[in-house]
Order: sequence, then C-alpha cells, then structure tokens
Amino acid sequence: MQETRHHFRESLKELEQLTLGGLDLVIQQLDRALESVAYQDVELAGMVVADDDRIDGRYLEVHQAILSMLAREAPVAGDLRIVAALLHVIRCVERMGDQCVNIAKLVPLSGYEAPKDKDILDFIERMGQLARSQVSQAKHAFATRNTALAQDLVRQDAEINRLNREIFKRAVEVGDDLDVREWAMFMILVARCLERVGDNSVDIAEQTVFVVTGLFREFADAPTRPAKAEAT
Amino acid sequence: MTVSKLPEISARRRRTDKFMRGTLVAAFVLALIPLVLVIYYLIYKGIGTWSKSFFTTDPNGNFFGYPGGARSAILGSIEIVGLASLISIPIGIGVALYLVEYGKQTAFANFVRYLTDVMTGVPSIVFGLFIYIVLVEAKVGGSGFTAWKGSIAVALLMLPVVARSAEVVLLLVPGSLREAALALGAPRWRVVWRIVLPTARSGLVTGSLLAIARGMGETAPLLFTTAGVFGLTFNLNAQMNAMPLQIYNDILSPRTEVNNRAWGIALVLVTLILILNLLARAVSRRSRVA
Amino acid sequence: MTPDETTKTTSEASDRQPTDGPASGSTRPLAQVPDVSVRPARGGGGHAVKVRGLNAYYGDLHSIKGVDLDCPANEVTALIGPSGSGKSTVVRCINRMHEEIPGARAEGSVTLDELDVYGPGVDVTSVRRLIGMVFQKPNPFPTMSIFDNVAAGLRLTGTKSDDLRELVHRSLRGVGLWDEVKDRLNEPGIGLSGGQQQRLCIARTVAVEPEVILMDEPASALDPVSTLKVEELIDELKERYTIVIVTHNMQQAARIADSTVFMLDGEVIEVGPTNDIFTNPKDERTERYVSGKFG
Repeated sequence: MQETRHHFRESLKELEQLTLGGLDLVIQQLDRALESVAYQDVELAGMVVADDDRIDGRYLEVHQAILSMLAREAPVAGDLRIVAALLHVIRCVERMGDQCVNIAKLVPLSGYEAPKDKDILDFIERMGQLARSQVSQAKHAFATRNTALAQDLVRQDAEINRLNREIFKRAVEVGDDLDVREWAMFMILVARCLERVGDNSVDIAEQTVFVVTGLFREFADAPTRPAKAEAT
Repeated sequence: MTVSKLPEISARRRRTDKFMRGTLVAAFVLALIPLVLVIYYLIYKGIGTWSKSFFTTDPNGNFFGYPGGARSAILGSIEIVGLASLISIPIGIGVALYLVEYGKQTAFANFVRYLTDVMTGVPSIVFGLFIYIVLVEAKVGGSGFTAWKGSIAVALLMLPVVARSAEVVLLLVPGSLREAALALGAPRWRVVWRIVLPTARSGLVTGSLLAIARGMGETAPLLFTTAGVFGLTFNLNAQMNAMPLQIYNDILSPRTEVNNRAWGIALVLVTLILILNLLARAVSRRSRVA
Repeated sequence: MTPDETTKTTSEASDRQPTDGPASGSTRPLAQVPDVSVRPARGGGGHAVKVRGLNAYYGDLHSIKGVDLDCPANEVTALIGPSGSGKSTVVRCINRMHEEIPGARAEGSVTLDELDVYGPGVDVTSVRRLIGMVFQKPNPFPTMSIFDNVAAGLRLTGTKSDDLRELVHRSLRGVGLWDEVKDRLNEPGIGLSGGQQQRLCIARTVAVEPEVILMDEPASALDPVSTLKVEELIDELKERYTIVIVTHNMQQAARIADSTVFMLDGEVIEVGPTNDIFTNPKDERTERYVSGKFG
C-alpha cells in the first residue's frame, strides 16, 4: 500500500511542474522578444504578442487547479506554503509574459530602420541575458528549494538595475538626431520592461525562501553596492 | 491563592457511617446463617453415609438389615432430568429465538413473553398435577406412572427458565452483527444459525445449566408422574427412582439408617447442583461476547 | 500610439469570455480548462445505480421525500448533509436494509443497471450480494478468526467457491491488510485494531464480489491515520466497484468523491461534480452547509 494521500501528492507535483513550466514559456518569449528588438523583426514581435495566449492559458489552468486543490484537499503546513507560493509564482509568470509582450509591441514603433546606438543596444542585450538567466535561476531555485541560489538572484538584480540606469544616461546623451532620440526613448521603455522581469524573478526567489522557511522576507531593494549573500 | 485545609468529616457523619456499616454487616451475617447451617448440617449428617456401597447399590426397602445405597435414585434423576433437558432446552431456546428475532414487539410476541413469565412463577406441583391428569390418568402410552412423563413435567418446569435466560442472552448479541450478516446477503435463518447462536453460545449454556440445576431438585412434579421405585432401571417407559423421591421416602421412615441415607442423598443433590453452577460460571468466564 | 495603451495588464487577460464555460452567477467566469484533480471516468464494465422517486417511511414518519440519484459506474458518489437529512436512509434503501427495521418501508425505483431492486419477486438476499455494505462501527464476527471472517460472506450465502483460501488471501491483499495479518489468519477477528477491523470488514464485503459497495460513514469511528488508509483504499476500490459513501465529514467527501450529493431534510438539494460543489455550489443552502455556516 502506498503512503496515504497518494493522489494528493501526485496532484501537487503536477501542479508545481505546470507552474514552473510557465517559466519555460516566459524564457521562450523573452528570447524572441529580445531578438525582435535586436533585428527590428516586426514579424517575430507579432508572434510574441500572439503567443502570450499560451501564458495566459497556463495562468488560468494553474489558478483553477489551485482553487480546486484548496477546496478539496485542504493542504496544511509545507503543502499549504507550496500552494500559496505557486499562486504567487504563476502571477509572476503572467506578468513576465506581459512584459515580453510590451517589449514586442515596442518594436514596430521604434521604426523600420536599423537601430541607431550600439552602446544602448549592447546594454539591452546584456540586460536581456541577465533577465533570462534570472528567470532560469529562479525556476531552478524553486524547483530544488535552494535558498542560497534564491538569494543570489538579488545580486543579479543589482546588475540589471545598474544597466537600466546606464541606458537612461546614455539615452539622454545620445545626440541630436531625432530618429535616434526617438529610438532611444523606446529603448528606455524596453529596459524598464526587462527590469520588471528581473523584479518578478526576485519575487519568485522570495517565494522559494518562504516555502522553505515559512518566513516571508522582502529581499532588500537592490542597493548600489552588491548585496551580501547570506546563509540563512 | 492558597487553599485552606479541606474541612474534616464531622463526628456525626463518622458515627452514621459506622452505624450503617454495622447494620449491613449484621444483615449479611443474618442472611448467611441459615445458609451456613444448612450446608453444615448437610455435610455433617450426610458425609457419613457416603461409601462405596452407597453409590453402587440400590435401596432395597427392607425393614431389617442394610437398607441399600442410592444408586438408582442418582442415576434415575440423571435420566429423568436428562430427558427433560433434551426436551426443554431446544424448545426454550427456540421460543427465545422467536421472541428476539422474529416476534420482537408484536402483540403475539408480547403475549408469549407474558405467559413465559407467568410460567416461571407456577408452583411445580401444578405441573405435576397437570401431567398426572393429562398423561397418567389417561394412561397415555399404555401405562400409568412412567419416567418419561416425569421428564415432561420437569421439562415444563425448566422451559420458562431456559426461555427467559436465553432471551436475555440473545438480546445481548449486538444488532450490528446481525446487520453485517444480512448486508452480506445471508437469509435470516443462516444469520441466526451461524452468527447469533454461536455468539450467544456461552450465555445459552450457562442458562441451560442453571435450568438443569433447578430441575434436579424438584420433587413435586415427580410425585404424580414417576412415583419412584427402588430398583434401578433404564427403561424410560417404566417407573423410575429419583433423588428427591428417595429423600421424601427415606425421611418418613422410622429407621435411622434410612433417615441418614436421606441426608446422604441430599448432599449428593446439593453437590451436583454446586458442580453445575461452577461449570456454568467457568463456561461464561471463558468466552465473553465482545 | 502612446505607451499606456500598449501596456497589457492582467485584468484584460481574465476578462476573456469563456467559449463554453458553465453558466454561473459568480462574478468572474473562468475559462473552461481541464481540471487537473479529477481523473477521467472509466468506461465500460461498470455498474451504475439509479434511484428515482424514492420515498421512505419509518412507520408514519415520511423521512425521504422523492429522491432522485445517479451513482455512475466506477465512481465514488458521496452523500453529505447535516444529521437527520436522510443520507443513511437513502443508502440503506439501495440494498434494502431499510426494510429490516420494524415498521419501515420504502417506495420508488432503485435500479442496478437494468435490475429493479424493488421489483416483484426479487430475492432480497441476492440484491444484497450484489450491493455490499460497510458500516460505521467495524463489526467483525467475534466468534470467527480473521480467515473465517473474510470467508463468512461466502459461507453465509451458501456460495460455493473453488478455492476459498485463494479468494480470502486475494481479498485481504486487496484491502492492504495482507502483510499485517498473514501470519495470524487463525486469530480472532476482534483482536485487530479499529482501522484494521474496518479493513477486515471491507475485505469481507469484497470477498463476495459485489458490483456496488455502499459505505455508511466508514471512517467516523477511526483515528486519522486509519481514516486516510481507508480513503486510499476507496480510491483503489473504485477501479472495480461503484462506491456510494455517506459521510458527515465534508473534507472526506472533498478528498475522495467524484460527485457529491447534498441532502437536507430528506430531499436532494444539489448534485454535482465534487469540484463544483466545493468551489462554486449553485444552491445557497449548499454554499452555507459546505462553508460551515450551519449543520
């Protein structure tokens, strides 16, 4: 005879996989959105916008499943924290998806000519890579319940914030060409979306720590100096 | 907050307590006295007559010489009460089964219950008279006084006792067992035969043993139906001896040896009843209904 | 185009209308997405119970008033409701145990597949062989050993079995009791713990190979761990039997039932998939009972 509440445990595992799978979808979307920004690929941007339906669908699926689980299985203790965290995580997933759509929607606006400023583009590319690795690391940290890995995300977030400020400075000093200035404005917005994606990853990291310790601590807003990685 | 010492028992309460205790002990002793005396006398007067010949020879009714033992009386009692048990116990348990399993609270069942209760109170001589008129006078079966007619009279006496105690025991069988058996798809008779009766078995045995003990000691029903003879016989269709009959006969005799024999038989009777009671107790202790 | 209009927010996504969602009066209809916690119903080979227009009486007391019920094959149907709502009575009418109570009677139709349980000339004992029952208080037969208890059903019904031992062992394995009792099959059945006794009673019921198993609060008298074990067992049993369970423990119904029936004062108030009953019941009385506002 298996251990008790076998059915419940299976369902909980599936639910977690479903939720974390949403992060894979986000990474896909992020990659394509960044590519469309780098190459001014309007078609690709259009696909990103359309595919957001998948992430929204995933959100509804997970939400429904969580309601069902709370009503029928009445999870407590660790299981309850997992379910509550998953609810939070899937919201982050949905928001991250929306940010990718926002990035994609900015592409056709920034004109069909080739992008104008190499520095800004570099920064954006670096930000994009960081954001991507943050999402991936957040997923891994949650799945393995690794609090050290989770707290490390704050460090990466500090870097993203720094890049965000750099882009802003650079955009201000970008020169007199109207088209370039307009493009740079849009890049500021893209940077902001990427920064939001980073924040959502940090949220997921906070949920990881909550699941493991039962304590909810806001990781300090990324300060100008690198955050210390504590062993909790 | 500290609790002060609890108030002591007042002197008056102590006196009342002592007084009541004393009264109860006195009542107990009072009740015990006749019992002890009876047992003492029985043993004192009876044990002397117990001997090998007492158990191996029959009373011979002679005026002079050795009056004989009590073999035919003892064996006769066993035969008569044995047959009576064979009759009364199955019927008694059957009545109880009907009342508990089928009749329950119907009007007819309540009427049967009432009759059974009345029968437990009927004086045993009435049973004897009844059988005398119906069977002996009418010379049913060819002869007048026979052992089997005596058995029937004793059976009539035992029947309500068996039925009543069996009903109590059967009612103790939890309804949930019957339900479980019925829910499995068992017909009612199987539920009774395989579940109810085995569960109640020890209680039924106890009740039966007590009824047998009662039947052994009754004199009156046998007076008009069996009318003892001295000789040992195994023919149930003839007159037979029995312990109460022999005692009755012996006490009236002028000979002291014969009187003493009566005491000896009385002691045997009481001993048998004692053994039956102990047996009943042992059976009931061994297996209790959960 | 200004950036504000292009920014997507979460509320937009949720306001998407469902294509074929359930008609409900709730504030925010969710799209009809697959419910991950409900397993698909098994098809074919199962036996369904249908109750139509059931009325039951205890003497003059009209306790069940026109109840209709569907217990689909190979599913667990739970009856919930406050004390005195008639759930046990309904279930006892299904296997005709109700009429064993003096003065009690039932009218209406109860069908097992095509067989009308109350049909004229139907043998009550054969109905009960097809529809087994497990009671609230475990009731193994005290005079019988563990082995005899499991075999009791077959012996009591006079069923001949080619290999009794194999059948008994299989039943014990099927309820997860085998490992615990395999070395003491000849010991009295009442020597087991409460949870084991109840599983023994389930093994006894299963040994006669019924088509439907009725359970009247099977875990109320058990400790929490035994309760969960029994629930696991029910989850396994529904592969082979149709199960109808009465429970006053709502959480239990929420955990194990495929569909739930809410009863009140002898009537069925609401029937539905368990998920719906516990997340979005239609009737207000169901809502109040399920959220603990009365009962």
